[in-house]
Amino acid sequence: MWRKLMVLSMILIFLVSFIFAAPVTIRFWHAMSGSRIKLIQNLANEFMKTHPNIIVKVQYTGSYNDTLNKTIAAVKAGNPPDIVQVYDIGTQMMIDSGIIIPVQDMIAKDKTFDINTLVPQARGYYTVGGRLYSMPFNSSNPVIFYNKTLFKKAGLDPNDPPTTWSEFIADAKKLTVKDSKGNTIQYGFTSGLIGWFFEQYMAVQDAPMFNNDNGRAKRATKAVFDSPAGLRIFNFWNDMVQSGIMLNAGPGWSNPRQIFMSQKAAMLLTSTSDVEMMLKAAKDNHFELGVMFLPHPSGVPYGGVIIGGASLWMINTHNVQKEKAAWEFLKWLAGVKPQIEWSTGTGYFPINKNAIQKLLYEGYYAKYPQYLVTILQLLMSNVTPSTRGGVVGPFPKVRATIENALGKVFNHEMTTAQALKWAQDQANQAIEEYNSLYQ
Amino acid sequence: MKRRQRKILRTIIVEIALIIVTFVILMPIFLALTMSFKTPGEVFTYPPKIFPSKFYFENYIKAFQSVNMGRLMLNSTIMALVIMLGKTIFGIFSGYAFSNFKFKGSSLLFAILFITLFMPAEMIMIVPLFQVMKSLHWINTYWALTVPFLASATTTFLMRQHFMTVPKELEDAARIDGAGPFGFLFKILVPLSKSTIGGVAVINFVYAWNLYLWPLIVTNSDNMKTAQIGLRMLMNVESANDWGVIMAGTLMILAPTLLLFFAVQKLFVQGIITTGLKE
Amino acid sequence: MSRKIIPYILLLPTFIIITFFIYYPAAMTFKLSAYRVSPFGNRIMFIGLKNFKFLFTSQEYAHVLYTTLIFVSVTVGVGLVISLLIALLLNEKVPGIGIFRTLVFAPYAISPAVAGTLWAFLLSPAAGYVSYLFLILFGTQPQWLTSFPLALVSIMIATIWKNLGFNIIFFLAGIQSIPKSYYEAATIDGAGAAKKLFNITIPLISPVTFYLVIMNIIFTTFSVFGTIDIMTQGGPGGTTTTLIYKLYRDGFVNYRTGFASAESIILLAIMAVFTYLYFKFAQRAVHYQ
Repeated sequence: MWRKLMVLSMILIFLVSFIFAAPVTIRFWHAMSGSRIKLIQNLANEFMKTHPNIIVKVQYTGSYNDTLNKTIAAVKAGNPPDIVQVYDIGTQMMIDSGIIIPVQDMIAKDKTFDINTLVPQARGYYTVGGRLYSMPFNSSNPVIFYNKTLFKKAGLDPNDPPTTWSEFIADAKKLTVKDSKGNTIQYGFTSGLIGWFFEQYMAVQDAPMFNNDNGRAKRATKAVFDSPAGLRIFNFWNDMVQSGIMLNAGPGWSNPRQIFMSQKAAMLLTSTSDVEMMLKAAKDNHFELGVMFLPHPSGVPYGGVIIGGASLWMINTHNVQKEKAAWEFLKWLAGVKPQIEWSTGTGYFPINKNAIQKLLYEGYYAKYPQYLVTILQLLMSNVTPSTRGGVVGPFPKVRATIENALGKVFNHEMTTAQALKWAQDQANQAIEEYNSLYQ
Repeated sequence: MKRRQRKILRTIIVEIALIIVTFVILMPIFLALTMSFKTPGEVFTYPPKIFPSKFYFENYIKAFQSVNMGRLMLNSTIMALVIMLGKTIFGIFSGYAFSNFKFKGSSLLFAILFITLFMPAEMIMIVPLFQVMKSLHWINTYWALTVPFLASATTTFLMRQHFMTVPKELEDAARIDGAGPFGFLFKILVPLSKSTIGGVAVINFVYAWNLYLWPLIVTNSDNMKTAQIGLRMLMNVESANDWGVIMAGTLMILAPTLLLFFAVQKLFVQGIITTGLKE
Repeated sequence: MSRKIIPYILLLPTFIIITFFIYYPAAMTFKLSAYRVSPFGNRIMFIGLKNFKFLFTSQEYAHVLYTTLIFVSVTVGVGLVISLLIALLLNEKVPGIGIFRTLVFAPYAISPAVAGTLWAFLLSPAAGYVSYLFLILFGTQPQWLTSFPLALVSIMIATIWKNLGFNIIFFLAGIQSIPKSYYEAATIDGAGAAKKLFNITIPLISPVTFYLVIMNIIFTTFSVFGTIDIMTQGGPGGTTTTLIYKLYRDGFVNYRTGFASAESIILLAIMAVFTYLYFKFAQRAVHYQ
């Protein structure tokens, strides 16, 4: 009797669910502000048009840090999103969170997705221990913008930007202008005090930040950036500031941009995602804009640049249908058309090789050679543990510590060697503290 | 005659000193105002000019749109009003309890409340308080923005002080007229204390409107953030620090409290200070 | 309703709030400070007093304590002296004094974050008027927000400015509550203005001063968060990282829940000292709450 009833009710449930096959709703939290909010919503709308059985609820949840905070709170409250955007340095933290599904697991089950279409540098960053954990999304790397007009004024060839550190310093000297009273009215170079740049200069020298292959072979247990390569960077940076050819613009991205745009500095180290903004600023302020690769110290093997930005993580909601829907969306976002839309609308790279190819054929890179420079710099990078970027739990803390250490050098509190050692000790302490939870 | 001349001279010197002091103190606001009307091109002209060539309102529109300012202001208003009402009303209740009643444990309870003055939980204990919000599922809600702030030691003390200045005979008379303790509070004490209550309410409003750290932590979606957090967003969104836009936003966020303060300053200064200091 | 239970009913809302949102979190702080917790809370480790051991041996934390001490004492000291001078000026009976008072009190209504943006703008290298003023007056362009110790000085300026309104209001009220007869008597004795200030005004407003010192210390230690967050984010080189800023970073950027709780305990202990001082020395000043 009971059995019959059970079977009957199960059949009933099956039928009902078949008839009312309600579309699956997934939630997607991201940290892209300004005009990008609309852009992402539009992408989601396009996806929903072609996938009528999936509803994507997109929400902008503030900065990367806000978004991560919100996710942590939501996990505890039991209502996390299905997809969340997390910054590059949150990778190990997410791997350890116990709440995610590595996208590799989804790829393994889905023959229609070709992992080889992903740009190797982007794929490399988010692959840890041989597993791709999250789907690359907004990806950028650092470049130097330069003011060609000021180059000409200083008697430099605007089409022959410096490639090595010594050339860079020599040019920056020529680009520094002082008035009769000895006040600097134009600096050769400016940059924010941003730890990401240190990591990039390490990669340029093919030097790792952490042990165990930068934390990629197995969990990193020690920071190793107190190395000749690291010291070279601190000295390079500090020498330029102390000799007055570089204006240290302090923390954050806004001040240095402003200094460069108002032509108080001739060169600017910033992210490739600023290309669009810089093109516009150059037009408004009547100067010609150039983009160059990160210079490298001569006599040191060249590594490349690390991809930065953020990726999309799938949260394990224990709901197979939602997971499937989330994966469909991620897969779609990595496709050619959405990637072109996203990349041309923001300045981030397409993370899909075919999208780059298509843009090239369409003449996009011929029209905007500045974009070509940024993408070439990435594609010409070697994929090694150093250029794939470090992975470590307390990376936000490590990055902030390096910024602090550089600040201490500029304040004459410490020498470059002392500061670097101090930063490494701090980083090791943080790593040890973090790792102790996962032993 | 000489004495009068000296007095006039003194007055003139004082006036000049006052003008200089006032000018210096208000200068940041004044310069923000002129900057807010500059075109992007004028912002970075060198040497800087104080006055813009024309009134360029675009900065206000840009500031309003780029961080969803309407919504932020609405959130701040809701938060500040609720906190103001809660702090003031509960403060009147507890102040009344401490001033007009003798009860067991009153000095102990008073001390317990008094000590909270030195325990700004939303700053000192942000981590555990945040955990409480998480357990209550209050993150990113008006609950988190308001409820933890509804009690106030300061308001309690101010009201207690003020109520104690009201002659005891009034309460006796009211009792003879048949008014209960609540009748006395609402019909006699509160109307008698209008200016103090008004002043306290203004303080509480300004306090709540200006909260920064707590809203920063407990809100994360754009439609729950407050105006003060909007400042931080403006500094970040304005990718090249267009000070024209940032100052326009700053003035918009500053306006409500500043105008309120100017409008009711008499009430505020007289109500609070005289209650606090006299006696 | 019995008159006996009415006061408890009146106190109920306030005590519910302080129980759940002040005393309970305070108790929780002690518990959390004995743990190490992973960012997502999925790993928890009891480590006893290790967080404190780490705090007390940390050079970084000692530096933060030192920064806070310098910042608070200079800001409160300089701020109160300036406020007192302005309050004395505003006590003069000259035409238009009402308008001057209204205008000078204005910074009271300004938030720490707004003070931060205003001064970040005035001190900014590319568009700031103060930077320009320094260039034409002294021929140098100091890096206000990005160099040591100017970044800390910048935060001090913004904070002192923001506190002016509050301090002046209280000083002025204190000065005005001094009976005129004291000054008249002093005039008859032939005392000059300076003597009157040091022998009458300052001693007689000392309860106000005491109240303001306490309030200013609390304010500059905690509410300054908004100003720092807007102006320097604790930099350069951590030289503007105060106790509250570090607590925020550890709790909500570095996700060190247990460690941040230990920092909270330190802050609680500091505040306990103030509470004690307050009760010990301010019997007279209790009225001024």
